[in-house]
Amino acid sequence: MIGVGKAKQYANVLDKPLGRGRQEVSLSAFAFLFSEVVQYNQTQVDNIAELERRLEDAGYAVGARVLELLCHREKGNRRETRLLGILSFIHSTVWKVLFGKVADSLEKGTEHEDEYMISEKELLVNRFISVPKDMGAFNCGAFVAGIVRGVLDNAGFPAVVTAHFVPIEGQQRPRTTILIKFAEEVIHREARLG
Amino acid sequence: MASTACFVIVSKNDIPIYEAEVGSAPKKEDLAYHHQFILHAALDVVQDLAWTTNAMFLRSVDRFNDLVVSVYVTAGHTRFMLLHDSRSEDGIKSFFQEVHELYIKIFLNPLYLPGSRIASSHFDTKVRALARKYL
Amino acid sequence: MATSQKAARLGEEVWKTRVDKVNAELVTLTYGTIVSQLCADYDNDYAQVNQQLDKMGYNIGMRLIEDFLAKSNTGRCGNFRDTAEMISKVGFKIFLNITPTVTNWTADNKQFSLLFDENPLADFVELPDDGRAQDELWFSNIFCGILRGALEMVQMSIEARFVSDVLRGNDVTEMRVTLIRYIEDEMPPDDE
Repeated sequence: MIGVGKAKQYANVLDKPLGRGRQEVSLSAFAFLFSEVVQYNQTQVDNIAELERRLEDAGYAVGARVLELLCHREKGNRRETRLLGILSFIHSTVWKVLFGKVADSLEKGTEHEDEYMISEKELLVNRFISVPKDMGAFNCGAFVAGIVRGVLDNAGFPAVVTAHFVPIEGQQRPRTTILIKFAEEVIHREARLG
Repeated sequence: MASTACFVIVSKNDIPIYEAEVGSAPKKEDLAYHHQFILHAALDVVQDLAWTTNAMFLRSVDRFNDLVVSVYVTAGHTRFMLLHDSRSEDGIKSFFQEVHELYIKIFLNPLYLPGSRIASSHFDTKVRALARKYL
Repeated sequence: MATSQKAARLGEEVWKTRVDKVNAELVTLTYGTIVSQLCADYDNDYAQVNQQLDKMGYNIGMRLIEDFLAKSNTGRCGNFRDTAEMISKVGFKIFLNITPTVTNWTADNKQFSLLFDENPLADFVELPDDGRAQDELWFSNIFCGILRGALEMVQMSIEARFVSDVLRGNDVTEMRVTLIRYIEDEMPPDDE
C-alpha cells in the first residue's frame, strides 16, 4: 500500500532543493549517534592515537561538505582567500550552524607564527562522553578537529589540527582547545598577498 | 547557443571528474580531447587568479584562438571550466551558478567520495539541459 | 483513534518544551559519516554494513529508552497498537522531529508498518551505482536496531526490518515491525 506522504517526494536528490538549514532534531539524537561513532571506532583500533585519527578522519569528511554548503548558503558564494577570513568563517559560521553558537574564542598563538586556537568551554562532543580513566588524554574533540581540518584543507589552507583539554582554574571541567598549525605554504602565501 | 562549448569539472587535486561537450556543433571525439587539453593547460592560470579574489566566478581567464576559457572556483577549490566561443557572460555565470547547486547536492551525498568521478546520469542530464538554456 | 491523538499531542508538547535541539544537518552529516565509514571498513559488503548498523542501533536503543521514558513521563502501553502510536508520534517525534505513519496492521495486531516520508538520516543520499547497493543496503538500518533495543528494555521482543526504501527507487520507505512476544520477568533484576 502506498502511504499518504506529508512531505513532497522527489524523483531524485538533485531535484530536491538545498533547504535553508533550519530543521532541528534533538541533541540526544546527536549524542547517541556520536557515542556509537566512538564505540564503533574503538573496536577498530589498538590504541588511543589511532582512535583519535579515525575520529578525525570521520570529522574531515563532514568538514569538506560543510565548507561547500555553508559558503554557498550562508556566505553568498564568497570564497575565503585569507587566513583570518577562513578562521573567522570556522569560528562563526561553521560553529553557529553545527553547534548553535559561535566558538568561545579565536586566538593567535603567542609562541609560533603559524598557530591559532579555537576554544570552547564545553565542546558539544565532550559533553556526554565520560572518558574512562584508562584512556588517558583521549579527546572526542578529535572529531571536531577533523571537521576544522576538512574545512581548512579543502579551502586551500592545509594545517595540522588537534584537540586538547586545557584545565581552567576554578572550573571543574577543562575547556577544549582546537589547535591549528598551518603549513608553511599557507604562511608564505599570506605574506605574499600582503 | 554556442557552437563550441566544452565543460569540465576539475577536482581540487587537478583531476577531471566530469566532462561534457555541450555546444551545438556535432561531436567529434578528437576535438573533445583537444578541448580538454586546452582546459587542463589553463589550470595554473586559474590557480593564481583564484587567490586574488573572493568571487567564485572568474570570468574569462584565458584565450585559445577564438575560444575563451571561463572558470568558476568553488569554496573547496573545485573548478568548473568552460571552453566556448560565445560571448554571453551573464549566461555563463548563471550556468555555473546552477551547476554549482547541483554539485553541492552531489557533494553532500555521504556515499560520494570527494574528488571521484561524478557518475550520476541525472547530473549529466541536468547539466546538458542547463547548457542548452544558458549557453 | 484516541491513543493516536493523545500520543501526537504528547509528542508535540515534549518536543516543544523538554527537548534540547541541534541543527538536523549535524546529525545528517554524522550519520552519513558512520555509514560511509562502515562501507569502507567492510569493503562494501552491504550485508555486513546492515548488520553493523543494526547492532549500533541496538546499543543506542537500550539507552535511548531511558531518555524516552524520562522525557515523555509515560506509563506502560496497554497493547501493541498503543505501542506503535507511541513509537511513531512520541518516540520519533522527540528525537528526530518526524512522525512516520503507522499502517498495514495484520488482523492479529502483531505486525504493523512504519512509513517514512521524511528521514533526516538520509538527506541527499544517493546509493552508489555499483549494481549491489540498490539491492542490498538498507541505509537507515540503525532504526531497526534502535526499536529492537528500546522495546526489549520494556519487555517486548520484536523484529524490525525495512521492506522498501525510496533510496532504492521504491515508492515509499517502509519498515515492518513484528511483535514476537512479551518478555515475562523470569528472575528478579540482577544488580551488575
